[in-house]
Amino acid sequence: MAEAGIRTRLLQSLKTILAPQYILATEEQLKPFECDGLSVYRELPMLAVLPCNTGEVCSILALCHELGVPVVTRGAGTGLSAGAKPHPQGLLLVLTRLNRILGIDPDAMTARVQPGVRNLAISEAASVHGLFYAPDPSSQIACSIGGNIAENAGGVHCLKYGLTVHNVLQLHGFNARGEPVTVGSGGLDSAGFNLQPLIIGSEGMLMVVTEITVKLLPLPQEVEVMLAAFDSVDAAGQAVSDIIAAGVIPGGLEMMDNNAICAAEDYAHAGYPRDAAAILLIEIDGSPANVQEQLQATREVLKHSGATSLKVAGSPEERALYWKGRKSAFPAVGRISPDYYCMDGTIPRSALAGVLNYIDSLSREYGFAVANVFHAGDGNLHPLILFDANIEGQLEAVEEMGGRILEKCIEVGGTITGEHGVGLEKIRQMPLQFTDAEIAQFHRVKEALDPDNLLNPGKNIPLLKHCQEYRALAADIEPNRLLPRLGQGQ
Amino acid sequence: MQDSAHILQSQVNDAVTEQRALAICGGGSKQFYGRQVSHDRLDTRIHTGITEYAPTELVLTARAGTPLAEIEATLLQKDQMLGCEPPLFGEYATFGGMLAAGLSGPSRPYRAAVQDTVLGCTILNGNGEILRFGGKVMKNVAGYDVSRLMVGSLGCLGVILEATVKVVPRSPAELTVAFTIGRDKAGALVNDMRRRGLPVTADCHDGDRLLVRFSAGDKEVARLPVQLDRHYSFVDWHRYEDDAFWSQLKNHELPFFTEGRDIWRLSVPAAADISSLIGNAHDVLTEWGGCLHWLKTEASAESVFTVMDACNGHASLFRQEVRGASDQVFQPLPDWHMTWHRRLKTAFDPAGILNPGRMYAGL
Ligand SMILES: Cc1cc2nc3c(=O)[nH]c(=O)nc-3n(C[C@H](O)[C@H](O)[C@H](O)COP(=O)(O)OP(=O)(O)OC[C@H]3O[C@@H](n4cnc5c(N)ncnc54)[C@H](O)[C@@H]3O)c2cc1C
Repeated sequence: MAEAGIRTRLLQSLKTILAPQYILATEEQLKPFECDGLSVYRELPMLAVLPCNTGEVCSILALCHELGVPVVTRGAGTGLSAGAKPHPQGLLLVLTRLNRILGIDPDAMTARVQPGVRNLAISEAASVHGLFYAPDPSSQIACSIGGNIAENAGGVHCLKYGLTVHNVLQLHGFNARGEPVTVGSGGLDSAGFNLQPLIIGSEGMLMVVTEITVKLLPLPQEVEVMLAAFDSVDAAGQAVSDIIAAGVIPGGLEMMDNNAICAAEDYAHAGYPRDAAAILLIEIDGSPANVQEQLQATREVLKHSGATSLKVAGSPEERALYWKGRKSAFPAVGRISPDYYCMDGTIPRSALAGVLNYIDSLSREYGFAVANVFHAGDGNLHPLILFDANIEGQLEAVEEMGGRILEKCIEVGGTITGEHGVGLEKIRQMPLQFTDAEIAQFHRVKEALDPDNLLNPGKNIPLLKHCQEYRALAADIEPNRLLPRLGQGQ
Repeated sequence: MQDSAHILQSQVNDAVTEQRALAICGGGSKQFYGRQVSHDRLDTRIHTGITEYAPTELVLTARAGTPLAEIEATLLQKDQMLGCEPPLFGEYATFGGMLAAGLSGPSRPYRAAVQDTVLGCTILNGNGEILRFGGKVMKNVAGYDVSRLMVGSLGCLGVILEATVKVVPRSPAELTVAFTIGRDKAGALVNDMRRRGLPVTADCHDGDRLLVRFSAGDKEVARLPVQLDRHYSFVDWHRYEDDAFWSQLKNHELPFFTEGRDIWRLSVPAAADISSLIGNAHDVLTEWGGCLHWLKTEASAESVFTVMDACNGHASLFRQEVRGASDQVFQPLPDWHMTWHRRLKTAFDPAGILNPGRMYAGL
C-alpha cells in the first residue's frame, strides 16, 4: 500500500480508538515531539497518539501490526541518545497520559505504577510510608519510569542501591502484535528464562511497557553529605578508588571538575569552591552508628588522598543545596554554552584519572571546552563537550571527538554507554565494542520477540552491513590505535 | 588455571554437525535440579581459573569451571564475598553452575540476587560462536542485556564460558537472633526491622521461630541487643549461637531437607496465601521475608501450580525424592510466554543441542 494510503487508513482507524484531541496529525501538532533530549536528531512522525489506558495501547499496537506501521514509544522525551526519535513512516506512541500510581504496598515495599509516572513522583508518593524508589536520574523531575525501564536508567544513588534493573519486580505490557505480556513475577524471581533484564534497557524495541512494579526501600535514618575539594583531577579520581577500596559503599559518589563547578555555582549557588580543580560529593547513609563509622573512614581516606578541603553539610538544607548543584549541572552548563554534547562512557574506576586526562588532551586538540560532572563511584563519565551548533562544522567535530572518548572507554575495558542507551547516537560505536557475531546475536534476539521489526526499528543495534564501515571510519580518525578485541579480525 | 574455551567450542561444533544434544555439566552439584535429561556431557571443568580479581574495583572475572569454593576463598582473603550467597550443594559446585542455575542464597532480598551480581559474560552459543556481552564495569547498557538473560537459563541458551561479577565487602561482624513469633507475623517483623535501619541480611522461619541474621560493623552489631530490647520487647528473643545455620540452610543440610521427601520451592509475593498447601507447620521453611518457601507436600503438581498462578508466584519441584524424575518440574508457562521461550531458544541455539529439555519439554 502506498504510504499516503496507509496514513489515511491508520488515521481513520485511530479515530475509532482515541478521542480526536489525542491524535496528532498536523505538522504544528507533531513538532514538539520531533526529538528527545538529544535535539540534534530530529524527525516528524507520520502520526502521534496519546492513549490514556492500556486498552487503547493494546488496540493501537494491534492496528499498527495489521498495517505494518512501525511504533516508536515515547515517555517524557528526556532521553539523551535519540532513542525516542520518531520514525518518519511510523506512529509515535506517547505514554505521558498513563500517569497513575496504581498502588503502594508499604508492607511488601512495592509500588505499582503506570509508565508515564515521573520518576520523582514515585519517591514522593512513597515518602509518606517512609520509603523511596532508589534509582534517581538527574532528570528525575521530568523523566518517566517507562523511559527509565527502557534505558535501564541510573542515578546518583545507584552505586549502593543498584540501577533500574535491580529495582524492578514485574513488568506488564504488550508485544508488537498488541498481545499482553508479563515478565517478572510477584516474587523475587520468575519461572523460565530471566526475561526481565532483557526487556530492561532494550530501548522500547522488544515490548511496550504499560505497568511496572518497583521495589521500594526504607528511607535511610541518617544521611550525611561530604564535599571534598582537590587541586587536581587525578587526585580526585584516585580518591574515588581509595574510598571503595577502604570498604566504604557510599550512597552516592559524584565528581565535578572546575568547569562544571563554576557553572553549577553560578546557577545554583550551592557553596562549591570555585578554585578547586575537582570536587567529590560523597553521601553516606544508613543507621546513625553505621553512618558515623563510615564517615570517619571516609575522612581518613580523603586526607591521605590529598583533599585540600573537607566539609560535611551542616543541615538538611545545606545537603539539599549540595545535591541541587549536582543535579542541575547539565542545565547550568547549558547556560554557559550555546550547545553541549553529553557522553556516557563507563570505565573501571581505576582508569578514571587516565581517561580524564585523555579527555583534557582532546579538549585542547579540538578546541572545545569540556565540563565533567559524573557518577564517579560507578565509573560512569559524563563529559559535556561545549560547542555551538550554529557554527558550521562544529557538530561534526564534536561528534568525532565524542566518538574518540567512547573508543578510549572501550580500550580501557569499559563501555560506550553506562545509562543513556545507544539509541541512534552511539550506533556507530557499537561495532567497536561488539563483533559481527555478537551484533548478529542481538538481531536474532530482536527478531525472536519482534519478528516484524515494528518496535522502534533502527535503534540500538547497527545493521551488520554498516559495521565494517563504522570500524573503518574510527580507524581512519585514529589510525595508531588498535581496538583490543576487534583489531584482530574477530 | 586452564583456558579451554576452544576445546569446548570444538565440542559444540561437533555436536552441531552430528546433531547430537549436549548436557552441560560443571561439578554436578545441581544434577538433581531441573528435568532429568541424558545427553552427552559437555564438561566445563576443563575451563578454569580466576582470570582477574581487582579488590579495589569490587570486580572478579572467572572461567565457568572454576570451583565456587575457590572463588569464595579468594574473596575471603580480601574480606570480600559474593553478595548473592550462592548455595554450593556439595564441594564441587562451579562458578558457571551458579550462574546457569541462578539460585540465590538467604541474603538475596538484602544484598543481591545472582543476576544482580553479573556484569558481563562470555558465552558459547549453539552455533559454536564465542560471544561476549556486558563488561567489567558497573553500568553497561550497550545492546541487550544478554549476560543477565543467561542467569538461570539452565544452559538452554548457551554455554557460559566466563563471567565478571560484582563482589561486596564482608561485614566485620554478624549476629543471629531467634524470635519466638508465628510465621504469619514474621514478615512484618522483618519489615519493621529493615525500616528501622537494622542491618538484616537473612531471615528464616521454621514453623516455631524466626531466625534473623544481622551483619554490620563491630560497633553497630554490639549495639543491636539494646535496640532489639527497646523495639521488640513484645517478643521473646535470644541470641542464636549456631553460626553454621545459614550455610546449612543455603546448602540444604538442615534436617528439614534430608528426610527423603519431595521438596518444592515456592517463589511468591510476601503476603501470598499458601495455607491450602500446608499440612503441618513444620513442613515449610520460609525465607526472604516471606517471598520464598521450601515446602514438603504430597499435593499434586497441578494443585501447587494452580495456587502459584493465583498468587502471582511460581513453583518448582526442587527435590524429587518420592515422585522420582518428574516431567513437570517448573511452573508451566502461558502460551505466549512459551512462544517467546521457543523463539529465544532458536535465536541462541538453532539446532537445539544445548541442554534440550532440562527446563521445559521441547526447549
Ligand atoms: C538533564 C538530564 C539529566 C539526565 N540524567 C540522567 C541520569 O542521571 N541517569 C540516567 O540514566 N539518565 C539520565 N538522563 C537521560 C534520560 O532522562 C533517561 O534516559 C530517562 O530514562 C528517559 O526517560 P524518558 O521518559 O524521558 O524516556 P524517552 O526519552 O521518552 O524515551 C527513552 C527510550 O525509552 C523508550 N520508552 C519510553 N517509554 C517506554 C515504554 N513505556 N515502553 C517501552 N519503551 C519505552 C523510548 O522508545 C526510547 O527508546 C538525563 C537526561 C537529561 C535531559
